[in-house]
Amino acid sequence: MRLYLSCLSLLLGIIFCHGQNKQLLYNVNGLPQSLLNNPGANVNFDGHIGVPLFSKFHISTGSSGVNLFDIFDDSNSDVNKRVSAAIRRLTRNDYFTLHQQLEILSFGWRLGNGQYLSAGVYQEMDMFAYFPKDPALLVNEGNNAYLNVPFDFSDVSFTGEIMTVYHLGINKRINNKLTIGARGKLYSGIFNVASTNNSGKFITRDDPNSPNFYRHFAENIDIRVNTSGYASLNNSGMTVQESTRDLLKRSFFGGNIGAGIDLGATYNLADNFRITGSVLDIGVMYQQHDVENYLYYGDYETDGIEPLFPDVVPNGSTIPYWDIFEDEVDENLKDETLNENYITWRPVKFNAAIEFGFEEMFEVCDYRRTYKRRNYNLIGVHLFGVKRPRTMNYALTTYYDRKFTNNFRAKISYTVDDFSYYNVGLLVSTKIKKFNFYIAADNLAGYFNLAKSQSASLQLGMQFIFKKQ
Amino acid sequence: MSFVKPLKTPILLLLFSVVIFSCVKGVDLDQTEEIALTPDLQVSLLVFDVTNTDFIDKDTGEFTAVIRDTVRLEFLDDSYIQDDLNNVEFSFRYTNSFPQPFRNKISFLSENDRVQHSLEFEINKGEKDNPAVTEWIEFIENERIDVIKKSIKMVVEIEVLPNEDAFEGELKFESKGLFSFEF
Repeated sequence: MRLYLSCLSLLLGIIFCHGQNKQLLYNVNGLPQSLLNNPGANVNFDGHIGVPLFSKFHISTGSSGVNLFDIFDDSNSDVNKRVSAAIRRLTRNDYFTLHQQLEILSFGWRLGNGQYLSAGVYQEMDMFAYFPKDPALLVNEGNNAYLNVPFDFSDVSFTGEIMTVYHLGINKRINNKLTIGARGKLYSGIFNVASTNNSGKFITRDDPNSPNFYRHFAENIDIRVNTSGYASLNNSGMTVQESTRDLLKRSFFGGNIGAGIDLGATYNLADNFRITGSVLDIGVMYQQHDVENYLYYGDYETDGIEPLFPDVVPNGSTIPYWDIFEDEVDENLKDETLNENYITWRPVKFNAAIEFGFEEMFEVCDYRRTYKRRNYNLIGVHLFGVKRPRTMNYALTTYYDRKFTNNFRAKISYTVDDFSYYNVGLLVSTKIKKFNFYIAADNLAGYFNLAKSQSASLQLGMQFIFKKQ
Repeated sequence: MSFVKPLKTPILLLLFSVVIFSCVKGVDLDQTEEIALTPDLQVSLLVFDVTNTDFIDKDTGEFTAVIRDTVRLEFLDDSYIQDDLNNVEFSFRYTNSFPQPFRNKISFLSENDRVQHSLEFEINKGEKDNPAVTEWIEFIENERIDVIKKSIKMVVEIEVLPNEDAFEGELKFESKGLFSFEF
């Protein structure tokens, strides 16, 4: 059964895996950060406090279809040919991501009833953009080679947000088999931009029945870019100090707010065999402050400007053909800037994993602790998904987690996602008495030459972890 | 498990060295300065359809052999034309069912009506059921592109070349520009 599930998951992963995730920290129950990936994790410590600003730093970036080397290969002098080739090769579903988290505060403690409370504050940035295939082709090559071929503006789809997250989570053992957890989150928005669900096509047709060589069509154009936290910085003429003060204010609920929840669970099928799962950031942001929406919509078609002969009207003045044309365009293709509130959903994520342990070990018995690691070795399969504007993006990871000593563990992972089929990651976590330091890096092969890598991810942090003897 | 303890340092060192000594090689980022977008844009320009009634002077009611019209092409003054236009290829097509030929003159004028560029060609005479098609392509290469950048108006002038046949028919005009940019 296990083999069957693994093979099925691997197959699914290879077929349609995409995405970025924190697979190296998932199911690492000795680290408090695993609670951020699964509030129902079987954590095996009794308290923690992170070194402020240093307990977790995470950055990951990815490009599903192109890397630096594809464009800037120094053995080939014609960079423009490579840019054009890349634009042609990329599809509208290729995407670029940039994700960053900085934990500001992090702490937690076990209550007398055995439940574990954890809380903290972190700052998060998440940028995501699909490759705007058709607009990029139009800008790079023009319409000359694409007569009668529509340029589809629905290819434009991107989101971006910067926020501070305040969270409080609880982790509770229901019985020997089941542990559940939940985490409430309050979001304090600093910046948001969202342009999804755009539509419209631009076509140049050479229909022999039309009066001119070409007829240009702008059909069902409906483009909207929502922003919050952008207009005031863009237009106010604030100094750097004033802008910084404003950004800090937004970090403390001085701007847009939202709320969300994480849910997670661990179920022990046997002492050495468990399944875990979580859903993160089921949350919504209400964008109400400093909101600006940029709209462009309408339909228009033209064969060109039609002079009437002669060029004077009866009162002797010339006919302003161009002004008439511009007015007609403006009437039919509207360009508006509004200040309408809007709602954004957080990119919801899910994790699911099965894990099997072997080579038994022994720990001091403590009935309050929800989980005692029973095996030196853990292997598992982990499926991660994140909701993006068009679809869920997935990543599938298999891993081997080894506890070498009480103070040192390492985890090696292999991930298949949209960026690479050769993503091998490594996490090491070490303790000196109560002080813990961990570092995790994905796609290690890519670090030898980042130019040829389509993704890179790094997580590190330090904290104090307390465990009753 | 003492045999695994010696692995601790090598694993840590491996991870640190991979991350710290990561590098970007085999690329020349100075090439960003060479990146240029080079779209070729097909744009419809003027289009019209004149008949014999258009050769009647609206004020006097008299026949006039020459008609003309001027259209401002304001986009020629935009920054993307002024800074980034590389060359342009104009195409003109007349479809004539008049039994008379015409002389055609197309001029590009600056704001103060100085001719920057002009071209003249004869439009072949046609027949009512068999219109004659006359096409003309005018290529303005990069060396001469300033004549377009300095222009803001396009003037089309048509002069009928009379003959014995009745002056009756239709003259269709089509025009486009293939604008090649380098941004």
